[in-house]
Amino acid sequence: MQDLERSTVGPKPLHLYVISVTQPSPIVLSKMASMQLTDEELFSELKRLGFTPGPVTENTRPVYLKKLKKLREEQQQRGSRSGKPRSGAVVNSIIGGGNTTGSRPASHDVTQPSSNRRPGRKSSVLGFSSDESDAEIPLKRKGLNHSGRVDRSPAFQQPKPRPITPTVVNKNHHGAGSPLNSNDSSRSPDGHRGVSLVWGARARSSPEAEGRDYDESGDEDDNEQATEKNSRSLNGCGASHSTPSKLAGDYSDSDEEEANLGAEDRRRDRLGGHRSHTKAAFLSQGVGRGPQTGGAAREASPSGSVNMVGRRREEGEEDELRRRDSDPPGGMRSLNFPRKAIYVSLAENHDREADQNNHVDSGDGYSRSGDISRFSIGLRPRFSSYSSLSQPYRSNHSNHSTSNHTYSQAALKQKLSPPEDELLQQFKREEVTSHGSFSAHYLSMFLLIAACLFFLLLGLMYLRMRGSGATEADAVIKSHPFGSDFDSSYDKVKKDVILQLLLSLHDHLAHIAGQHECGELEILNRSLSIDEASAYLQAQNQQFEGLVLESLEWIIRSDQDVGIRLIGQVPDDPVTDINEISRLESTHPNMPFVCRFRRAFLTGISRVFVFLVAVGLVWSVVFYIKYRWRREEEETRQMYDMVERIIGKELDSLSGDKTFSTCLFFSATLRSDLTEVTRTNIKPSLSCDKSTSMPSKVWQGKAFPLDRRNSPPNSLTPCLKIRNMFDPIMEVGENWDLAIQEAILEKCCDNDGIVHIAVDKNSKEGCVYVKCLSAEHSGKAFKALHGSWFDGKLVTVKYLRLDRYHQRFPQAQSCTTPMKASGPHLRAVGSTDGTASRASTSSSSSSSGFS
Amino acid sequence: MSTTSQKHRDFVGEPMGEKSVTALSGIGEVLGKKLEEQGFDKAYVVLGQFLLLKKDTEMFTDWLKDTIGATSRQAVPCAQCLKEWCDAFL
Repeated sequence: MQDLERSTVGPKPLHLYVISVTQPSPIVLSKMASMQLTDEELFSELKRLGFTPGPVTENTRPVYLKKLKKLREEQQQRGSRSGKPRSGAVVNSIIGGGNTTGSRPASHDVTQPSSNRRPGRKSSVLGFSSDESDAEIPLKRKGLNHSGRVDRSPAFQQPKPRPITPTVVNKNHHGAGSPLNSNDSSRSPDGHRGVSLVWGARARSSPEAEGRDYDESGDEDDNEQATEKNSRSLNGCGASHSTPSKLAGDYSDSDEEEANLGAEDRRRDRLGGHRSHTKAAFLSQGVGRGPQTGGAAREASPSGSVNMVGRRREEGEEDELRRRDSDPPGGMRSLNFPRKAIYVSLAENHDREADQNNHVDSGDGYSRSGDISRFSIGLRPRFSSYSSLSQPYRSNHSNHSTSNHTYSQAALKQKLSPPEDELLQQFKREEVTSHGSFSAHYLSMFLLIAACLFFLLLGLMYLRMRGSGATEADAVIKSHPFGSDFDSSYDKVKKDVILQLLLSLHDHLAHIAGQHECGELEILNRSLSIDEASAYLQAQNQQFEGLVLESLEWIIRSDQDVGIRLIGQVPDDPVTDINEISRLESTHPNMPFVCRFRRAFLTGISRVFVFLVAVGLVWSVVFYIKYRWRREEEETRQMYDMVERIIGKELDSLSGDKTFSTCLFFSATLRSDLTEVTRTNIKPSLSCDKSTSMPSKVWQGKAFPLDRRNSPPNSLTPCLKIRNMFDPIMEVGENWDLAIQEAILEKCCDNDGIVHIAVDKNSKEGCVYVKCLSAEHSGKAFKALHGSWFDGKLVTVKYLRLDRYHQRFPQAQSCTTPMKASGPHLRAVGSTDGTASRASTSSSSSSSGFS
Repeated sequence: MSTTSQKHRDFVGEPMGEKSVTALSGIGEVLGKKLEEQGFDKAYVVLGQFLLLKKDTEMFTDWLKDTIGATSRQAVPCAQCLKEWCDAFL
């Protein structure tokens, strides 16, 4: 059928870059339009597009139809994007549907990975070393090993690692591995490729004769890489299914963004330098002024500034300023604002662009508008990062933006390409939302400043009030503290005179005291002698002369504090007679305002300082306590670790009482703690009997149930390598290797298929090699041994390749008789039979032992 | 470590035998009923469909979505489950 179709196509146009695929036949294409394809035709169509479908039955038919449609769409887009000339115009004319045939290989790329998406499973590669590979891994992707893959876009990353694997493989010094490894490369899915790539690298580095074992931690890394690659490619191919155009758009967006970012970074460096200045300038200004002034404060920056964003800002501000000339009084302009851009906002683009367009004839160097708009586009993706520097006067801008919006839009649109449009749309949404946040931010700042100002003023007022005292200098003194006697004994004029005298005296004394307090050196005494006082008063007013003593007498008589203290010859004695008065002092010193302020400030600061010191002391004490706690915890933890190690070691050795005693001690004190510390199924037997009867060389149970995750699904070869059975340094005695063989045989006593055991005495890892009759037997042995505790060590098993095993142990080739355990006593302690209920182990909940 | 549900692990751990379709991961009561209406009364029948689609999870999810109106959140685990089962037992 395919050949027939090929022949019916006729002469192909020369510029058709096709490797092995043909155009759909016109009949098929016409049927496509009306959906009357037969099953066979559908099948062949799908095949032509590089997709090998299963049988087309009534159930699968709709799925395959959808698939076909999808493939065709993708084909079309491939053709349009790659810009290859659309061949088959003749065909198109017939169809009228315009199916293109450009870039067929690309469609290969699309279909194959999509059809062969395998979400990063590594189950099929468990238990394998890198060089001994897949004897039996099902090669599911055999049929899809198409050559001539075209690396279409960075989104599809599968083709890239492909060339690497063959080279890696060739370096593998195990020559036998190469044919199988080429099989690896034939398996095209990403997960495997990624894993085999890593394995190949590791194989290269491993110098040992045997292959790399599958190391749990290493595999986890592989898995991570594999899944990472898979997820990447999965995303890429998953997108290919749904919206290839969008995918390409996204990637081009990211490319654009990256390109823009590249340009961004340079500019941002310059920005950073300016930003600090501008911010400081703004803040210092903002304190004293309200929003209006702040708006005007956004001034034009120097024309020579290279700061792109600042430039945009400055032009916007220039225009703002110009527009505002009429609004505020000329006082604004007369203020000397620093000529620096203050903040960034991308919404300014509209205003600025509009302004530029309006003022283009002003010839003010708006030639930069072209590149600015480009930069604005580039900077748009950075909008979110700049939002913190938002300008607070969006409301002012909105007036202008509405009027010039359409014009600016038109100006912008021609500069934007479609992918940027998408980005912009995304960010416009952010802009809109950040409008509210801008004004909120501005509002909060304003409130804060207002509150600070208010309190400051309040404080100043208070201080001034305190300092000035009763400033009633010119007013008639209405009230006095002398009581009604005073009023009755004098007439009004005299009363006034006396009161004025007292008032002036009071003020004078207060002034002197204030000067004294504030540390002016000329005044040595806080008080004033009575002669000086009377001299001063006489200088003030002639009428005072005779009344000085009388007024002082009144002061003595009054009980209240009039602000003048009378001091006698002996200080601190209360003065009862005017003759005793020698000095006068003010009780309410009138200090100059600055002095008061300074004193208040100093006291406040000192109090705060004291408070901070106290807080610091408390905090340091707390910190110190915490530090001690932490130290103690760490020490105990270290002790536990050490104990664990010691117990592990001590139980092995067969030494005498020292072991016993230490073991007893530790087990007694820390048994319960150990169970907390170690979460996995630690060996159950920690009982310390006499050293002779201490368990050694016994199987001590299973650490984790074997399930899909940590064992291969089926046994792969008849040869096993068992690790961590012993420690060659610690082993004592003559025949410990025989003991180990016995142990293995006993463990697998139900499996009479073991034909050869070899204990590698010199291996640091304690390796034992086992060959079984068949893969089935080895599988049973695997399940019995893998993950068990033996002699205090966790045993791991992996499969080996048969030929390599024979290379290593030629004598094993001839072994065919199953071995049997010779010793009668069972060496497994409390062993849960791992071989029984294989199904249940896999169905039980996954253990955390490995993962 | 992949995050698989208990249902997944239960299904993949053993041969499916005569399990019902609701034993499949992602298939609940509602979807199970829909499948049964379509004739897929046992899990092995669904397996058959999966094999017909050449064990392609994407195609299978598409098929599930088309046939019974499953969502991605239901179809993808089901496909995954079947695939793993096939890896283990086929």
